[in-house]
This record gives sequence, C-alpha cells and structure tokens, in this order.
Amino acid sequence: MSPMNNPQDLNPSSLKSRFTTRFLRALTKINGQKPISSSSPREMFQRYRRIKVAADKSMAWSVRSRRTWSRAMLWKLRSRYSCRQASSSRRSSVRTSTIIKSRQAKTSHEKENKNTTTGQDEVGFVVQADKLRKLVPGGEAMDLCNLLGETAHYIKCLTTQVQVMRKIAHFYSL
Amino acid sequence: MSTGDNDDVGFKHRRQSLMNCPPSQMNTNHLSDKVDGSMNSISKAPDPFFGSGWDPIVSLSQSEGLGGSSMVSHTEFANSHYPLLMEDQGISGTSHFSQIQSNPSFVELVPKLSDFGSGNLSEMVGPFSLPQCSQIANSRCPPNYALNPKVGNERASTNCTQSLGEHQISEERAVGTPPNGKSRKRALESNSQLRSYQNADEEPRKDPSREGCDVPKEQDGKKQKSEQNAGANSRGKQVAKQAKDSSQTGEAHKENYVHVRARRGQATNSHSLAERVRREKISERMRLLQELVPGCSKITGKAVMLDEIINYVQSLQQQVEFLSMKLATVNPELNLDLERILSEEILHSRGESAAAVLGFRPGINSSHSFSPGIFQGTMSGIPSTNPQFSPLPQTVLDNELQNLFQMGFYSSSAMDSLGPNAGRLKSEL
Repeated sequence: MSPMNNPQDLNPSSLKSRFTTRFLRALTKINGQKPISSSSPREMFQRYRRIKVAADKSMAWSVRSRRTWSRAMLWKLRSRYSCRQASSSRRSSVRTSTIIKSRQAKTSHEKENKNTTTGQDEVGFVVQADKLRKLVPGGEAMDLCNLLGETAHYIKCLTTQVQVMRKIAHFYSL
Repeated sequence: MSTGDNDDVGFKHRRQSLMNCPPSQMNTNHLSDKVDGSMNSISKAPDPFFGSGWDPIVSLSQSEGLGGSSMVSHTEFANSHYPLLMEDQGISGTSHFSQIQSNPSFVELVPKLSDFGSGNLSEMVGPFSLPQCSQIANSRCPPNYALNPKVGNERASTNCTQSLGEHQISEERAVGTPPNGKSRKRALESNSQLRSYQNADEEPRKDPSREGCDVPKEQDGKKQKSEQNAGANSRGKQVAKQAKDSSQTGEAHKENYVHVRARRGQATNSHSLAERVRREKISERMRLLQELVPGCSKITGKAVMLDEIINYVQSLQQQVEFLSMKLATVNPELNLDLERILSEEILHSRGESAAAVLGFRPGINSSHSFSPGIFQGTMSGIPSTNPQFSPLPQTVLDNELQNLFQMGFYSSSAMDSLGPNAGRLKSEL
C-alpha cells in the first residue's frame, strides 16, 4: 500500500493532502490556544480530546458529505459542539443526548425494517454486522451491503489518518 | 426522427433505444447508423441476422431489446422515458425510431460492442465519465449477461463484478426500464437464446427462456407464460425494486431497476433473483475489503472475514487515539513554517520516512523520557510564561507517558508490522 500512495500524495487534492492541511491547521490552532507548559494531566487530557476531535473532524471534512460515515461523524461532532456551546449545564447535554438517542433509535428502527425485508441469507453475520455498525460512524442506518462499502472507505481514510499523524508525531519527536 | 429507417433493423434500434433511454431523449439515427455499420455484415434481414455467427453480446442484447420492448408494452412505467416502447412488439416496429436518442458517447461505444466478446468490460467503461455511465451501463448490460453463460462465472466475477462494482449502482440507476427490469430476468441459456431468436422473428419478443428451461415450447407457451409471469413477476419485482429505490433515494443517483438474469438451472423467482443480486454485491464488497485489510487474502468465509475487518477497524481507531494522545504530549510549538515543512514531508517523502518511522518505533519506550527533555528544551527556547512549571509535571508526565507509550507501543508496533508486512495479522494478534 505504501509505494502506491506516493503518486497520489503529490496530487494536491488527494485525501491525504486535504487531511494533512486541515489537520495541521487545527493542530496549530490547538497549540496556539494553550501553551505547552501547562501540562497537568487534566489539561493534557483535554488537549488529547481536542486533538482527537480535530483529527476526526479534519478527516470527515476532507471527505465532505460524499460518504454516509463522514456525514454521520460531522453531524455528531456538530451536535456535540453545539451542546458544548449552548451551555455547560446538564440540561443541554441531556437534550442533545436525547436528540442523539432518538436519532439513533430512528435509524436503528429503519435498520430493522431493512433487515426484515432483506436479511434472510445473512443470519450468521448479524452479530458481526452489528459490531461493525457500532464501529463505523453512521453504521446503524445502513444495510449490510452499504455498510461494507462504507467500511471500505472508512478503513482507507483511517489508514491515511494514522499515516499522517504518525509522521507528524515522528517529526515532533525528533 | 428516424422514421425512414428500415424495418429490418427494428430490433437493433429497439435494443439501442432500450439501452439509451434512461437519461436523455436525444438519440438520433446516427447511433443506429453506427450499429448498422458495425453490423452490416450481418445484414438487415431478421433471419440471416440471427443465423450468422453473432457475437453473444449483440445477440443477447438483441434478445434483451426484443424481450424488453414487449414487456414494456404491457407494464406500466415508473418513469416516462420510454414512450416509444409501448408500441407494437413486432420486429417491424418503426414507431420507436422516433424516440431514438442520441448520445455521442454511445456512438463510440457501439463499435466496441462487436468487439466485446474478446474485450474487457473495464476497458470499455473505463474512459467514460460518470455522467455517461448510464449509457455505458446500459450497453454493458448485454455484455454482462453475455459473459455469464458463455464464459462461466469466472469472467463475470473477475471482469464484470469488479468493474461492475461501482457501476452496478449506475447500472441499476440507468438501465432504467422499470418494468423491463423484471422482464429481464431470463434464464440464460445461449442455445435457447439463439433458438429463440430464430423463432422470435415471427413472434413478438417475449423473453426467450423466462422459465429457464423450456426451449421447445418457446413459441406459444413462452408467450402466454411469459405474459402471465411478466405480470406477476413484474409486480413483485417492481415492488421490490421500488422499495429498493425508495430506500436508496438518499443517494444522489436515481436508482432504477436491476437487470438480473437468472443463470442456468437456477430459480427465476423474483425474490431469489433479488437475493442473488444482493449476495453478489455483498461478496464483491467483501472482496474489496479483503484487499484493504492486510493479511486477509487467505481467509475464506464471510464470518471470519468480518471478524478480521472489525479487529482492523478497532485497531485503527485505537491507533488514532494513541497518536492523538502522543501529539498532545509531544507537541512543541508549531509555527507556520513548520506546518509547511511538515506537510511537504508528509506528503512527499512518504516512502523513505516509512522506514524511519518504523525504525523509530522500537525506540519509543526510551523516547518517553526524551520527550520531557524536549519540553525543557523548548521551554528554554521560547519565553515561556511559567518556567517553574516545567520540573513539576515532568514526573507526572513520565508516568503517564510511560503508561501510554507502552500501551500504545504494543498495539502500534503490532500495527506497524502489520502494515508493511501483510499476512502476519494472526501472528501479531
């Protein structure tokens, strides 16, 4: 996989380059917000969370809305962000979580409908399919066929993400 | 439009019109002219047309066109792209000529149809961009079906399904003769096809071997049976397809009906055909995933494969978390120059730094004590606001980093060796 990535990397609009630029920008912003000296565990954890969110968000934005999983991830991030923005009170978080839960319930309901109509020959894979649905963002609402396609794209994006982040970390550690 | 065309190429035109119908209404004669040109040797009379050593693709497409139009005539349309096709079902139907649509890309495709027998499906659809893939998919339908019986499944699986992968949606979308979708479920027997052609010139183009095996009684029995079955199957399949359509309207494309052809000796029930289409799609996606996940080329079986996929996705997500934690801790100042340098290095020097990254990995346990040193260095480098903080968090940092790095080291080293060395998944995990 690695030698084949090289010609793609030079393409300025490849997934990798899009993700890299976005993520580096976000990283700069995060690093600019708090000085590195404040490295209490809690703040470290906060920074970790922020960086992780930035990584996910950058990846989802690089894919835009072309994929279900990116749309789901962006929606989740946005709702979480708006929840945080609205207030730090529990009310809003509960509201948001209920919104999220209702949405998931709705999508799982859709999924069940789909399963009943289509799932006769994949009885053995329901357990694994459910596990996969939990892993892939937005996976609850998809039938197996689309889920597999989304998983393929998600894996590709995750590997890109890991490659880029590893290089960044490597660069910083030197 | 092309009313002047001769009757004997009626079926050819019907096929073209079937294949071109979905997107636009603009097919012109020169499409049919091209077809004529490519098939001129076959002549224009029905009998020699069928009797010649015809390319299986074209013959099948003929049958498709013939059968399709007949089916079209007595089923209702979901979309109104085919006003022409409800006309008579005889060979000599000329009314549909008026609706033949033009498509410049299809003109290019047409000469290739005759070569398709030896050609490659992906080659054919390769150069065409997505907007034209509807026609391409249309034209590909007959080749696809041709491949199934003739070459067996190996070709279908290798050529068609892989290139069909991304095009299948477009095929479903674009082949777009909604009732025809059901009508195209015919048992695919080449012999019966040819024979049906020979018989079919007298008869309207019913689906040649819709039941699958009734070669001898094709003429009349086929007619009535297929009519009945067309009604029943079309309703059933239409419902299924409409359900499928509505379920997939979220996508940007407009999904029409899947053209499935029952293989020899298999049930032609609409449900089983739909199931088979689903299964094929799923197995094709599993094959894709098999290529993506390292070390899964030897695994056969969907359950084990799914387990591997789940493990891989989980490990990738863990890696992202670990790396983000690492970035949170190891990160010195990052100004714009560094950003540019970083992006360049990441994007352009992927190959040689891979080894460096891998080589760096084993040293990570020792580097955790090094990173506080980095903090020290950067602290002194930049005028930091709280220099007295630096000795204090170091101990905490040490412990945390040690734990984190050890935890992450094992998982990430496993993944690292997984990445370049495919096939060692089992041994690592």
